[in-house]
Parts: sequence; C-alpha cells; structure tokens
Amino acid sequence: MSTAKKHTVFDTRKEVDFVIVGSGASGGILARELSTAGFDVVVLEQGPYRTAKDFSHDEIDVMLRNDMMEHPSWKDPQTFRATATEIAEVTRDGVTPPALYARGVGGSSVHFTANYWRFRPVDFNERSLLGPISGTGFADWPISYEELEPYYTRVDWEIGVSGAPGPFDAPRSRPYPVPPLPVKSSGVLLEKGAKKLGLHAQPAPMAILSKPHNNRPACMHCGFCMGFGCEANAKSSTLATMIPQAEATGHCEIRPLSTVYKIETNDAGRATEVAYIDAKGAQQAQKTKAVIVAANGGETPRLLLMSESSKFPNGLANSSGLVGKYLMANAHSLSQAFFVEPLNEYKSVQVTRIIHDFYENDPARGFYGGGGIDARAFIQASPIFFSETGLPPGAPRWGKAHKDLLRHNFTRRMALLGSATSLALESNNITLDPDLKDAVGRPAMRITYHDHPDDLAMATFLQDRGVDLLEAAEANTIWREPVLPTNVLAHLLGTCRMGADPKTSVVDPSHRSHDVPNLFICDGSSLVTSGRGQPTMTIQALAFRASELIADAARRGEI
Amino acid sequence: MKNTKSSRRSFISASGALAGGGWLALNAPMLLAAGHAAAKHKSTEKGWSNISAQQARTFAAVVDQIIPPDESPGASDAGVVYFIDNVLGGFMADAEGLLKKGLEELDRQAAASSPARPDFASLSFDQQTELLQMIESTEFFNTMIFLTHCGMFAMPSWGGNRDLVGWSLVGFDNRHAWQPPFGYYDALAVAGEADHVDG
Repeated sequence: MSTAKKHTVFDTRKEVDFVIVGSGASGGILARELSTAGFDVVVLEQGPYRTAKDFSHDEIDVMLRNDMMEHPSWKDPQTFRATATEIAEVTRDGVTPPALYARGVGGSSVHFTANYWRFRPVDFNERSLLGPISGTGFADWPISYEELEPYYTRVDWEIGVSGAPGPFDAPRSRPYPVPPLPVKSSGVLLEKGAKKLGLHAQPAPMAILSKPHNNRPACMHCGFCMGFGCEANAKSSTLATMIPQAEATGHCEIRPLSTVYKIETNDAGRATEVAYIDAKGAQQAQKTKAVIVAANGGETPRLLLMSESSKFPNGLANSSGLVGKYLMANAHSLSQAFFVEPLNEYKSVQVTRIIHDFYENDPARGFYGGGGIDARAFIQASPIFFSETGLPPGAPRWGKAHKDLLRHNFTRRMALLGSATSLALESNNITLDPDLKDAVGRPAMRITYHDHPDDLAMATFLQDRGVDLLEAAEANTIWREPVLPTNVLAHLLGTCRMGADPKTSVVDPSHRSHDVPNLFICDGSSLVTSGRGQPTMTIQALAFRASELIADAARRGEI
Repeated sequence: MKNTKSSRRSFISASGALAGGGWLALNAPMLLAAGHAAAKHKSTEKGWSNISAQQARTFAAVVDQIIPPDESPGASDAGVVYFIDNVLGGFMADAEGLLKKGLEELDRQAAASSPARPDFASLSFDQQTELLQMIESTEFFNTMIFLTHCGMFAMPSWGGNRDLVGWSLVGFDNRHAWQPPFGYYDALAVAGEADHVDG
C-alpha cells in the first residue's frame, strides 16, 4: 500500500475560496486556519518547496550566494536609493539585496533568527500617549494589545515559542509552552554586565523548541539558525508547523515556483483571479472568490502597484495613495567584543538573553524611540563571516598576526545587537522601478529609505548601552560598528497600513482592503508602528486574528 | 542611465569599515556567474581546470602570505588554490580577469627586481610581503583575502579546508550537534548555581 502523501490539486479555471499569495510567516498561518475551517485554498509561492532534508550548513551557498533569497528561476533585481531625489542603484549580482527575504515555502520564517518578542500595549497607542511627531506618519493602531493577546498566545502554543516571562513583559494569558533555551556564554556575560549596571537580562523568547512540542523535536544546538534552514524542524517556521497541517486537511494546495504578477479585477471592482508564471514558465491564472496577499512588506505593495487597471490606475487598493508608503525597517546597531575565555558562540541558537530596560520612550533622551539589546553571535557565528568581519578596526588583515587573531578569537567573541523603533515616513517606501524590469517583465522593486534621525539616535543610544554592558562584563576588546543609515532591510513593515479611515490606511481592522471588498492583505505591511525590533511574533498574531475574521465573514456570505 | 548593471563591477572590501547598515550583509566581493553555474571540481587528479600551473604557483605564494604556515598549515597546504581553481569555474567566474591580471603583475614585478627571480613565488617570503604591502588596498588583493578566507573556512567539498585545517585553526568543531555547556562562562554559571544549591 502506498504511503505517499496525497496532494490536493485545484483546477485553475474553477473558483477556489481563497488564493493566498505567499506561504511565509503569515501566509502559512492563513492557509492552515482557512483550510482547517473547510475552505478551499491555493497558496502561490514564488520560491521552491524545500523541506528539512534540503537544508545545509554550507556557508558559501546559503550565506554568500543567497541561495534561500534569490528568485529560483530568473534574476529579480532590486534598486535602492536613500531619497527620492536620487536615481536608484541596482544591486549588483551576489551582493546582499536591500530588501532581505527568503523565497520558498515557509518564506522568511525558514531562514530567520527566530526572536519572538511580543509587542507591548504602548506599541499600539503610543501616538495618543506622546502626541504627534512632526513630518511623520506616527499613528495609533485601530486595535489594542488586549485584542491581540489571545492570538499572541496562539503563536506561542501553535507555532512553538520557548521562553519565560521577563520583568517588563506585557500581560499574558498563558505561560510559554516550553522553557527558555539553555543559556549560552554570551547570555551569561550579558547577565553579568546587567547586574552590575542595575539592568535586567531576561531569557530570550525564541521560536525554536527547547523541548519537544507538537510532535516536533527540541533544538540540537547546531548553531546554524541565522540565515539557514533548520534540518531538525526545531525552528518553528511555518514550513515545519502550519504548512503540513494545512496540506493534511485536503483543502489546501501549496503551489511552489509560482510567481504572481497581477491580481485581476472585474468591472464591479472585485478581484477575480490571480495571474502568475508557473514552474515551467507558462502564464497561469487561478480563479478565486477572494484573494489574500501575504507576500511580505516589499512584495505585497509591489504586487498591488503592478495590478493597476483602468479602474485602479494607481494600483490596487491604493485610493489612499499609501500602498508602499511608511516603510519601516527597525534601526539597528552592533558592537562586538572579545573575552578572555572561549564562549563558543558558534554553538546553539543566536540569542539566549535580552535587555528590555530601554523599551519605553524616554523624553530625557531627547529623541523619540525605544528598543532592545540582545547578546548573540551574529553572522560571525560561522568562520568565513568571522574571518571577513569579526576582527576590530585596524587589526592586521593578512599575514601571521592576522592568522593569530583568527586562531585566538573565533571562539572568544560575541556581539550585542541593538534593535530600535522606526518612525513611519512617507518618503520611505516601496515603488516600482521606472526603468528596470526582471526577466519576465515585472518592474523591479525599488526601495527608497533613509532613517528618521530619531531612529538612528535610538540605535546609537542602544549601542552606547551595549558598550557599557560589555565593559561591565569585563570584555578585553570592544568595538562599535558604525551606526549609519539603513541600506539593508531585514524587516519590511508598514507598507499597507491598517486603519479605520480609508483616506489614511490601506486595510481595515479586519485586514480587508478599503477599496476591494474581496481583497485582504495580512503580513508585515499591515503594521502601523514598527515595534522595537522583532516583528514576526506580531505579524503571526495578526494572521491568526485575520484568519478568524475572514473565515467568519466568508461564512456570513460577506465576502 | 545609471539604472543598469555596471559592466565594470567594483569590489568592496569586507575587511574595512562596513558600508552603512551593511553589517547586516556581507558587502564582500561576491560575484555570481549568470544563473547558478554548478561549481565544477576536477582539479586534483588532472591538473588545473581554470588556471595554469604558473598561475597556481603564484596563487599559492600569495595565499600563503595571507594565511602563512606556522605551527599549523598555511592556506596553500589547506588547498586554497584548489578552491580558487574550482570557484573560478563557478560563482567567482567574473573575477577571473582581475585575478589573473593581478598575478601577472606580481610576477612581472618580481622578474623586474632581479634576473635571478623569474616570478613572485621565487622571491623570499619577506620580499613577497614587501611587494604585497604596496598593493594591499587594491581590488585584486582584497579579492585574494576574501578568497583565501573562503577557501580556508568553507566546507571541504569546495576544494579547500583540506582535512578541516581551517576549522581546526579557529576552533570550529565539526559536530553540528551540541549539548550545554557550550562555553567557559555558561559552564561556570551552571556550576556556580549547582554550588549554590548544594551549599
């Protein structure tokens, strides 16, 4: 008897209930929730369907050649500029692109570092608390932390988060399902520095299992998390959690190597089908009753802008003109240090302890912002990146002295990463490049980004505190990486923001687009504020919540 | 129009100050050949695939200047030249012209310095060092540093890191599965807690 898994296949010419564009952090949840509720769902994913057995620790393939991030079938270049007065420069082949995201089933949840901080109540209503900030789109969310809390708890339990409550955490209705991952030397040293300075290092919430949970195994501590896929299925990607459950319902087809280029609409202004290039390079279109775009904060606005028509000349769902605007990346800063004894940061997960003492805005600082500090190996966890970027400025770059530095310090280094707020600015955005197209004629994603001065001030503040912490922990060498305007964006947030007013937002509080009644948008683009640096937990809580609201609306016949 | 791929791709040193926010990325001289050309590796038995014997000789001398042999093997003993030969047929194909021109120039300068020194590799170690110090900020030499690091520390399947000498050098233990304690400080902390409980 065959044990081969039966895959559900839907006919492109027959209407399904939902097409979901993207299978990542949010798309995977939407697929599982809606198919479990009995709806027929097709998920279009531009990347390949890798599984745990396909992942490797090859630093060249994964980290240098961007195997997880490149389009699988053709070049899909991006362009970047800091301000609208510049002509955007194309990213050279092989250089890390400005908008960082993985392509493949599970999306960036496959290669992410898996920091799972919840937002706090203040992240939802800070505009009301602080008042306006001139020149920015700083705004409250139309929903509160309390409304989202049950869905954060679902992420904890159904996605799988390891952790323990910290002294400043927002209220939670249920404990973490599994305890924190074992502390690493970097975490112990952060605790040591924090104690001396009167700060509070707390266990890091991570979407990596410390104990078996939901039929998945605990982490083997291999050390290849950041940028790599997990071959043990201990990292709680949607590939390891939601996607198999969605497929098991018999109501969900994951269609990989499917690059969407347009959402088609009819004269009534409703979405009718989703056009894409299939694995063989042929044009296809899947008919559907409703569309959910969950393609990430870069690809989602790109697709909506590409879906212009005579009825929607500025792009789909864009009557506000805000599709692609208010891009937020979270500002970052990094300091590195060497210690006397080996830490061996190349082992186990990236982060085991974090500092949230600076989460809140503090007017005494003289600028808006808040953030967190985490102790981690960073990209120098693996030896090529260490040899290229893990030595202090002025260190010999070659020769015997260089070799001795590599020999002594690979096991003795750690980093502190500061992650901060980004203010929403209209001038930071995703647009279609007017000149450059990919191999199938889709306009390239153009990123325009220059941090608000307060974002960089906050990142610098966190770096200063990081250096204090490293000194208090008795590091013997400490250095700062320059805090410069962001030109590589690992977080793509805010580009189809949620709001009650169609003039100032793209989706309503249930993620339905204001302009197209059967078009929903749910991913990082929905965020109104950036949080303090770790957005995925919130993106996924939104996805659980949106799934419920969308399913209810469908059952009521209101889609 | 600036919005096209520059024909002359410039290299950015990864070892100096990283570009703005660029520590999120490695702005290293990563050049991809069109598509994902498979890296072919057939050099050890039948000679070199993508370089001449003379180029291999000069490469060996240069990479040994970057990571010299001491109590542990240097870059050429680690197989870095095999790595370079391999990746010049794959993802570093675009750097071939730059590298070969750089090697020729080194050999030319060596020969010019003395009739008894026909090429760079026949200079003394210190003479080689002096020559490289004069070009250490060039695109060629930054690429050589990058390739030496890659060849030293990449998985051996790429042709370098022979017998894991690169990983042994830095203390990267090739096990890929661990249990705590991971390092000195967490071991100490756990022992301290145990003492505390006992006492």
